[in-house]
Amino acid sequence: MKFTFSWLREFVDVKKSPQETAYALTMAGLEVESLASLGGQEDWVMEVAVTPNRGDCLGILGLAREVAALTGGRLKLPPVLPHVKGSGMERLVDVQIRSPSLCPRYSARMVLGVRVADSPDWMRVRLEVCGIRAINNVVDVTNYVMLETGQPLHAFDADRLATKRIVVREAGGIAKLVTLDGTERELASGDLLICDGDVPIALAGVMGGKDSEVQWDTHTVLLEGAHFDPACVRRTAKRLAIHSEASHRFERGVDPEGTLYALDRAVFLLAEAAGGVPVKGMVDRYPRRVKATPIVLREKRVSGLLGIELSRREAERLLKSLGMQVQSRSKIGARVVPPSYRRDLTREADLIEELARLHGYEKIPSTLPWVRPVGAGYDFRLQRERKVRAFLLGEGLTEMINLPFTSVELNRRFYGLWGDRGAAVSILNPLAQDKTELRLSLIPGLLENLRANLAQKARSFYAFDLGKVFCLNAQRSAEEKQYLAALLCGARGHRGLRLKEELAPNLRDAKGLVEGILEVLGIEAQPTWSGVGVGSFLHPGKAAVFGFGEREMGCLGEVHPDLCEELGLAPFLVVELDFEGLVQYAPRRLAARPLPRFPSVERDLAVVVDGTFPAQRIVSWIKELNHSLIEDVQVFDEYRGSPIPEGKKSLAYTISYRAEDRTLTDAEVNQLHHELAARIGDVFRAKLRG
Amino acid sequence: MVRESLETLKDEFLSRIAEGASEEEVERLRIEYLGRKGKLTFLFRGFKELPPEERPELGEALNRLRQFVEDRLEFRLGELKQREKERILKAERVDITLPGSRWERGRIHPLTLVMDEIIDVFLTMGFEIARGPDIEDDYHNFEALNMPPDHPARDMQDTFFVSQDRLLRTHTSPVQIRVMEQRRPPLQIIAPGAVFRHDDDATHSPMFHQVEGFMVDSHIAFSDLKGVLTHFLRQVLRPETGVRFRPSFFPFTEPSAEIDIQCLLCEGGGSTSEGQPCRVCKGTGWLEILGAGMIDPEVFRFVGYNPDQVSGFAFGMGVERIAMLKYGIEDIRLFFQNDLRFLRQFS
Ligand SMILES: [Zn+2]
Repeated sequence: MKFTFSWLREFVDVKKSPQETAYALTMAGLEVESLASLGGQEDWVMEVAVTPNRGDCLGILGLAREVAALTGGRLKLPPVLPHVKGSGMERLVDVQIRSPSLCPRYSARMVLGVRVADSPDWMRVRLEVCGIRAINNVVDVTNYVMLETGQPLHAFDADRLATKRIVVREAGGIAKLVTLDGTERELASGDLLICDGDVPIALAGVMGGKDSEVQWDTHTVLLEGAHFDPACVRRTAKRLAIHSEASHRFERGVDPEGTLYALDRAVFLLAEAAGGVPVKGMVDRYPRRVKATPIVLREKRVSGLLGIELSRREAERLLKSLGMQVQSRSKIGARVVPPSYRRDLTREADLIEELARLHGYEKIPSTLPWVRPVGAGYDFRLQRERKVRAFLLGEGLTEMINLPFTSVELNRRFYGLWGDRGAAVSILNPLAQDKTELRLSLIPGLLENLRANLAQKARSFYAFDLGKVFCLNAQRSAEEKQYLAALLCGARGHRGLRLKEELAPNLRDAKGLVEGILEVLGIEAQPTWSGVGVGSFLHPGKAAVFGFGEREMGCLGEVHPDLCEELGLAPFLVVELDFEGLVQYAPRRLAARPLPRFPSVERDLAVVVDGTFPAQRIVSWIKELNHSLIEDVQVFDEYRGSPIPEGKKSLAYTISYRAEDRTLTDAEVNQLHHELAARIGDVFRAKLRG
Repeated sequence: MVRESLETLKDEFLSRIAEGASEEEVERLRIEYLGRKGKLTFLFRGFKELPPEERPELGEALNRLRQFVEDRLEFRLGELKQREKERILKAERVDITLPGSRWERGRIHPLTLVMDEIIDVFLTMGFEIARGPDIEDDYHNFEALNMPPDHPARDMQDTFFVSQDRLLRTHTSPVQIRVMEQRRPPLQIIAPGAVFRHDDDATHSPMFHQVEGFMVDSHIAFSDLKGVLTHFLRQVLRPETGVRFRPSFFPFTEPSAEIDIQCLLCEGGGSTSEGQPCRVCKGTGWLEILGAGMIDPEVFRFVGYNPDQVSGFAFGMGVERIAMLKYGIEDIRLFFQNDLRFLRQFS
């Protein structure tokens, strides 16, 4: 809401400077967004951001009331031309309200002999400074009075109304109306219309019709000052995407008692600016009187909610300064009736806010509440997130945060860990045509980050994203999960002298990341790894999925060579895992074990096996023996090439032996190891080496 | 005569050993004096020719001399070895101005850094964390927050819809409703997370992050809201940050407040040292940073609380906004472009 300081002063004796007034308004919840001097005119233009609850402040009169309450200045009203009693108006026009709940009041006056022309300069300048285009003196007067009072007015060319029977009704079967901007509007049955007989002439509270618009040859003006239901106006305006000055005000609540003053003021200005002669009498249909109900305001509630003690006298003074009537007092509190223009005040809490606002928020002390020990503070999930982030940071990965919007194509290729269990969630109103779905996977985002960073000459790119992915499940309801994805491209960044040899990461580096994350989460269970069922964007031979039992937890691998080619990049690795799922496997407690009392003995074992033999099989087999003296087994080498025959490979393991109750002797260990090696040779048809 | 020659021999040895500058020379001296044909060995041989009464005294002198020579030789050898070691160590000295060697560390995203700071201040005040879904229903995102379908306040939040009734949450406030539906007071909760608005320019991103917080109990007043948020802002920004509360409007709080902090750039003065209006606060000296208020009784009714028995405050803040003010970032899109050159600045 923009207005000039001089205009405000026509409504209230402002005792303060424009700057002081602006500050007072801001600190009372009417934030002055700008205050600019109007060059050479000793005047200022002020813009107030009016919150949606304060429809009354969408007119200078409302702001003047606030200024009066805040600074003690006296309110005054600019001159009007009231109607002269008589039946002229009633004979010329008939008004009928068919939807009184949507139109509680319809008032009108008529002016004859109007000479439509440009408005006087002073009016045009004011309107334009306040952001409203001047059109002609009649339209300008309606806008001028709307800015003054907050009451939208509409002027019809009465000579263009065939029947002069004004009917306020819902559209029902009426299909179309050309509004004064020249657009043909499709009507919905619930739209409220102003009709001339059966012919629609305006969308009530939104915009007038083209056919009855005031033109240069207009002589007789019918002025409408009505009150319409906020929700009804909003529905129509929103559906037709019309945001007019009138609809903006009606949506936010206009003073139902303000129609007559606004009309009388407009008639005064029309007489002055357009030489109009008012018709005797007026029309005022008011089938539903909007009555304010008294609100009980309890003193205890005021002090309890605000944390201050306001004296009864002070509270009463503040309420009265806002035009409220304090009807009666009892031990509990007071019965307060708000004025008709404050339609936002309906409850005790609303009154308490008014008291706080006028008393001044800055005068309320700052206290710290006593907080109950509800056992809060440690958040398991947050701590796991932080640990994993810290681990990845140490491994050289930088965190990315990406928007969740993606394209249909990318979702088809990168479907995360949802398998074919679900479809992507679509956005009904996307911002762009390549952002119509919510991501199934975090990988496309990281790919985009990779591309953008390589374009900026990054030498390598190690990144992760801990974010949400979305999916429609079989029941068509949306599921969301927190995933973790990582991407490793190029040799790991190193600071210092250039390394002799830069090693690009391989599959085992990616697997190492996953193992590290499991370790950080304290998950001791070993996941099962499989090369079957990996995504088509991964290299068919250098990728894996892993999980616990039937539950798939993640995948990793080198991206498919076709994808690298498409992106014009050297091979790189990705990892994606169901972080939320993994955290469920993380133990809530850790228990320490005592140190072993006797030393362990280690022995190595090398076997020659088929080139496709999975190294883990021997580890698992040994572990499943559950031998009390075998403590651990690890693979430490895989070798192919001479002297190992073509198509075969050598695998080397180290086995730790330990007894809990004694030191094992060499002879004992040698015998154990020899027997174990022989059994492995038999079971796996492996040739023992060395 | 023999005694004299012993003295001469000792003096001569001392001057020779002082000249011996290498281990080899010391070794040669050892042979020259103590070897089979050495000078001392020679004296020992001549010893037998001495009269018996002179032998004990001279024998002792001779033995002392031999011990002396041996000790000196050993000492000199040690000295030379030490000197050699020092020489070698000195020769090994490296160029300490060469750079250190280390693997590149990753970085935590600046939004996570700021989010963590915010969360930690509230955790230390006894708040706990709650989470809610990003895909919300109209009821939790709007209606239960006192924004019925035709409420103009909905204009303030342009919404992404995924179906007729489901949408991407426009704020983290629905978590308030979800928690209160499940639990009874006392509650002291923060809800961090991503939120979405149908908007895209230098100051608006279609996704951004908020931290919602609320406290509900039998005794919570507006003055507590002021205290908690003032404490929070001074922890996260600067201890001396000026904070002001002014009335505002949110459908789900009453009274509502907008909280401003003194501009971090011009420190509240509103203008630069050259007298130009400050570009961060546009000359006002203040920056909006938080929205807050006492939870509206209507909201309590939606979740089945009796508004006469409980009271509480709620607040919400934009994480990007705080990060932008804290680090002097002017374009919100930098957070989501994920350019390593930007991210590496936050160590
Ligand atoms: Zn500033």
